[in-house]
Amino acid sequence: MERHTALSLTEDTWIGRFQAMGSPCEVVCESPRRSDAAEICELVAAEAWRVEDKFSRYRDDNIVARINQAEGVALDLDGETSDLIDFAATLYRLSNQRFDITSGLLRKAWIFDGSDRVPSQREIAPLLARVGWHRVSWQRPRLTLPTGMEIDLGGIGKEYAVDKAVARIQSAGGGPCLVNFGGDLASTAMPRRRRCWKVGIEGKTPESAERLIDLKEGALATSGDERRFLEKDGIRYSHILDPLTGWPVFEAPRSVTVAAASCTQAGMISTLAMLKGAGAEALLETEGVRAWCRRQPGTSNINIEIS
Amino acid sequence: MKRTILLIAVLFFASGCTSMGVQPWDRDILAKAEMQLTTDELEAATDDHIYFSKEASSGGRGFGGGGCGCN
Amino acid sequence: MSHKEKVSISAALAAATCSLLGTTFPASADAQEAGDWDFNTSILYYGENDDRVKDYSVKSIARRMFVDDRSLSLGLTVDVLTGATPNGAIRQDVPQTFTRPSGSGFYTVPAGDLPLDDTFKDTRVALTANWQQPLGETSLVDVGGSVSKEYDYLHLGVNAKIARDFNKRNTTVSAGFAYSMDDLDPVGGAPTPLTPMLDVGDTSNRTGDQDKDVLDLVVGVTQVISRNLVVQANYSYSYSDGYLTDPYKVLSLVDGTTGDTLLRSGAIPAEGGPSHQFLFESRPDDRSKHSLYTQAKYYMDGKVLDISYRYMTDDWEIDSHTLELRYRWPLAGDHYIEPHVRYYTQTEAEFWRLSLDDSQPLPEYASADYRLGDFDATTLGLKYGWKTRNDHDMSVRLEWYQQSGDVPGEQIIGNQAGRDNYPDLDAIIAQFSYRF
Repeated sequence: MERHTALSLTEDTWIGRFQAMGSPCEVVCESPRRSDAAEICELVAAEAWRVEDKFSRYRDDNIVARINQAEGVALDLDGETSDLIDFAATLYRLSNQRFDITSGLLRKAWIFDGSDRVPSQREIAPLLARVGWHRVSWQRPRLTLPTGMEIDLGGIGKEYAVDKAVARIQSAGGGPCLVNFGGDLASTAMPRRRRCWKVGIEGKTPESAERLIDLKEGALATSGDERRFLEKDGIRYSHILDPLTGWPVFEAPRSVTVAAASCTQAGMISTLAMLKGAGAEALLETEGVRAWCRRQPGTSNINIEIS
Repeated sequence: MKRTILLIAVLFFASGCTSMGVQPWDRDILAKAEMQLTTDELEAATDDHIYFSKEASSGGRGFGGGGCGCN
Repeated sequence: MSHKEKVSISAALAAATCSLLGTTFPASADAQEAGDWDFNTSILYYGENDDRVKDYSVKSIARRMFVDDRSLSLGLTVDVLTGATPNGAIRQDVPQTFTRPSGSGFYTVPAGDLPLDDTFKDTRVALTANWQQPLGETSLVDVGGSVSKEYDYLHLGVNAKIARDFNKRNTTVSAGFAYSMDDLDPVGGAPTPLTPMLDVGDTSNRTGDQDKDVLDLVVGVTQVISRNLVVQANYSYSYSDGYLTDPYKVLSLVDGTTGDTLLRSGAIPAEGGPSHQFLFESRPDDRSKHSLYTQAKYYMDGKVLDISYRYMTDDWEIDSHTLELRYRWPLAGDHYIEPHVRYYTQTEAEFWRLSLDDSQPLPEYASADYRLGDFDATTLGLKYGWKTRNDHDMSVRLEWYQQSGDVPGEQIIGNQAGRDNYPDLDAIIAQFSYRF
């Protein structure tokens, strides 16, 4: 995979683009000088690739690989990884065991390619026996993962990377920027040269209505299943799996977009809402967060509209 | 002559249609307001009406609502 | 779960995130939907040369977006028309008088002038409503209705369209139809075709109101060619059935040798009447049109080129070509300039006549309406747009539209040669738009 950044000027705004964590990433800067924008772009890309390299499950040389290959041996984790495991444990509790970083194994039975190959209970049951955070021993900084189990930080990684990138821009004294990793985004500060950041949620077709969100400060994250699903006999199986049953969550909304102070927070609330299935809207309303829930079919693509 | 024009147009679109295009993440330019086929629907509707009233042809893009007693 | 426990998820999450990220955040996000309503309004001035038609118009489209890509559009247009329009008679070297269409007055045209009827000062109101929503995963459906009213004209219509995406939304196929039912109640009643214009107060050749139906069908394909280029092609078919004649237009009945309009028989009565012989026009009671329209939009480094071509042919033997070009050039700070060129040419209807030859048998259909004749038209325009401080769009455009026509050589009789027979048109279009 190529790792390079590209900087371009759109009207009077600099946009740095690069590929990371399997998504098109960009950082939008209001800095008037190209050199400032280039520096910020390098900073953001470096942080994105750092998080990806450290926590991606696709690598066989990072901490996640070591944890997954430990075969029951206890490992002592560094500060950052321990923080993430602590966070995952809290989410496991807050979601009534439905947000579970050990549930990634279920992907061996469920391949969400839009086909109708729904696995049988016989294929799911043996995997389910190796899923469950309650089987894991976590006493910070010591993690003991039973043999045959795996952890996957993919559900937290992107939003976490966005917030880390924002923090780096802020500590480097960069001007107002919008960091967007494939639709999970956050603002470093309120924009100066315009009233707000305008985030456009693309409708189903280019001609259909766009939902425009005026973002002054904070973050937006989206959970959704528009592209990854299976469909058989008229029933749609979303890729959000319930780790307690091994089956998809029923009646999950097509997409949930949440606004919160940080991207991680927004991402986790949207994930928790999706995991609630039919109760998604109720959760969002009770939590009192600004959210947009979509139940109709349609692709929901967040892109930044520079205006 | 007329049939030839129609045939050329149909062939142009029948050829290559199934594999042409861009990936969903490359639609940034296409999503811009100024790249929509009708950028300004008010201007398009106004022009359609003016030319419908002053010429013998009409529409083409589709059709808007409304006839009038001008042609 | 009790309410207290439910409330604590958000707070617990905020605390957990804080310890994960170790930085302080604003209390909450400031994000809201940009507003459910979208308004697009414009005021327009259209003015032709000399004393011809002037139109002042206000147009407004309001769109309300609902969740899940559904939307409702409501449109309102109000037009105020004044000015005179050619009545189809040819110039003469002597003054001419015509009975007004209402039959209750007359007007005189000076020698050498193009006869223009200035009877119409009319206000037209049009309303449209459209509902659009997704259908399944890849389709979109749009249904709507329209109604418009003028003093002598009522239009009612319905329309529907469906569009389906293929190939990762790179190809869109659409099909639609529109059906109109229009009623005409001409001032004074519709005249019997090819009968003479009568004296003031004489409505013996008038019948009552008329109607016509129009069916339009469109099929089209939109294709994304590359990241910068999208093209579209549409085929449309239109069928009109009913009263297609213009009840206010006439043809001059001329002498077969001199080409001069024949004088009326007998003296003009006191109340007034036509000075010469004029016959009301007559058009077929149906019309079939085929059109092929193609358009391409190309983005180059911030600039957008929009080019389109339309070919139209119908069973009145009118063929037309339209070529249109727009080039949008961005300027600093969200401003842009857009020059526009349109070239149009059409051939005359099979039954178009400059005048009717008295020494020949009357044709079944005849019209001298310049809009059905052989002419070329050019539009040159410039549009300037910008964004207000509230991120709303504003634009102004100024265009010049010019038509110049040709009379087929074989139709020019005697003294008509050397006269400026075709009522060429020169018009200014000025429009200001505001979208918020």
